Amino acid sequence: MRGQTASELPGRALGKFKSIKNHRKITLFWIYVFLIPSLAIFLLFYLMPILTVLITSFTEWDGFNTPKFIGLDNYIKLFKSSVFLESLRNLLGWSIIAATVHVGYGVLVAFILFRKPFGWKITQTVFMIPNVISVAAWAMIYKYFFRNDIGILNTFLRIFNPNIQINWFFEAPYAFWAITLTWVFYAVVVTLIVMGDMMAIPQSVHEAAIVDGANSWQMTWRIHLPLCRNAIGTGVIASVTARIAMYESIFLTTNGAGNTMNIPVILVRSVMDSNYGYANTNAVIMLIVGILSLWIVNKAFRMNERIY
Amino acid sequence: MNIIKKILSRLFMYFIMLFTITISIFPILWVIMSSFKTNGEIMSGPFVLPAEVNFNAYVYLFQKYDFLTFTINSLLVSFIPTLLSVLFFSMGAYVIAKYDFPGKNLFFGLFVVTLLVPAHSRTQPIFSLITNLNLYNTKTGLALVYLSGGLAMSMFILKNTFQSIPNELNDAAYLDGASFIRTFFTINLPLAKNGMITSGVLMFLANWNEFYYANLLISSSANRTLPVVTILFNSMFSYNYTNTFAALTVVVLPGIIFYGLAQRQVQESLASTSVKG
Repeated sequence: MRGQTASELPGRALGKFKSIKNHRKITLFWIYVFLIPSLAIFLLFYLMPILTVLITSFTEWDGFNTPKFIGLDNYIKLFKSSVFLESLRNLLGWSIIAATVHVGYGVLVAFILFRKPFGWKITQTVFMIPNVISVAAWAMIYKYFFRNDIGILNTFLRIFNPNIQINWFFEAPYAFWAITLTWVFYAVVVTLIVMGDMMAIPQSVHEAAIVDGANSWQMTWRIHLPLCRNAIGTGVIASVTARIAMYESIFLTTNGAGNTMNIPVILVRSVMDSNYGYANTNAVIMLIVGILSLWIVNKAFRMNERIY
Repeated sequence: MNIIKKILSRLFMYFIMLFTITISIFPILWVIMSSFKTNGEIMSGPFVLPAEVNFNAYVYLFQKYDFLTFTINSLLVSFIPTLLSVLFFSMGAYVIAKYDFPGKNLFFGLFVVTLLVPAHSRTQPIFSLITNLNLYNTKTGLALVYLSGGLAMSMFILKNTFQSIPNELNDAAYLDGASFIRTFFTINLPLAKNGMITSGVLMFLANWNEFYYANLLISSSANRTLPVVTILFNSMFSYNYTNTFAALTVVVLPGIIFYGLAQRQVQESLASTSVKG
């Protein structure tokens, strides 16, 4: 018995081994073939653009001639430009509003809908509508909504004070707030992810809290809010990132007038002026601000720690 | 005391819900209603109801302007890239979820980290890429850019989907002598339907509503998409508000109808944005 197997085994095993090795090779081939489309998209639309942006931000470049290395000149010019400083100020303001009022409103709605009061389903469904239509169309709707002559807001305000004549999207202190109003309450994504986290809270946590005599106020502040901090942190990151890239709701309403500039508006204007190096300096700032806000929020919300 | 507290908190709850509903649909309802008013009615005040309901403005739009072309363009550049992206990203996510190979974690990490790149920071390179490919002002160029849109999110969603399919199925397929391609297309893909729909809905909506690159890369009316048409309203209709509001309705309504038809999928797609961070 033993002798027989010993004499037969090597040949058989080798054959099997060969076919396995062959199979492994074929599989590996197909694995990389399957990755090619995604990799091509990554290289063409992410890696190459980002490298281009990083490198040419230090050059003077019109897109036709070879880029000329000019060191930090673009950055110096940028930080001396009043338009850019205005953009940074706006971005800071909008980011703070996004992280507090916008996310706060989303969380508030989530906490209310989580208790499933009468009409919660329809509220959730309807709340989603502004997010499924184009930002551009939404900006246009608000442009007319805020019009001094035919808009609703001023007509409404004139009920209280007939003399109100505000051109919301043209005048300095109002324009910033008019743009803010086009997004600040539309926080359905925050609501959805916070509700998701709340549903994941184990029933035992609730029961333990009730046994310990916690009232609903304490439940909210000591249990729900801390346990949802990942979702809230995610909401803050998403909404701040959206402020960095906010373009349509400015371009289509004020186009930067009335102290409402934002970095992407400068970027697009520079691209249109064939000032590519300078445009990409703006892009680098956007990247840095994005990573910075991600890092800050991650730290503030201790998002890397496990919750349960 | 307790009862008063309870009533107050109820009142507050319903106030917030009512406020949420109002801000979400009132502006849209106002636009739709205004599209049925005459210019004079619009000028005389926003709360005036239209005297008679007719679809003249809509008929005018589709006859006088190429709203049909805009709609078809929008459908083409939204649907085709979505279909291709879902297939491409499924292929990538599948091998990452199911196999071990050199570079696996690196590739996945690279795909997902693209989520952190602010959307508009790639503007100039993409603008130049499309121009150099001679695709400026073509639907193909725009569709190509849209192909890249959902990379990170889709990889995340689809990898999770393929991981949830039991590995035993692939083992059984291997023992039955099924090829790599067949194992993917006939066994795994049908089971990954839900994840594919979620990421597909996400990308379709994003493409359908996209304004930034559509505005940047398209210059002629024949290739224009619906969201970009909004920018031309003032010059197009020279202060004919009825037409403006009708056009806005045409731009806005398809998205809402799509949402009405695929409510659950859209909600799942939006909620899946939470994989950020």
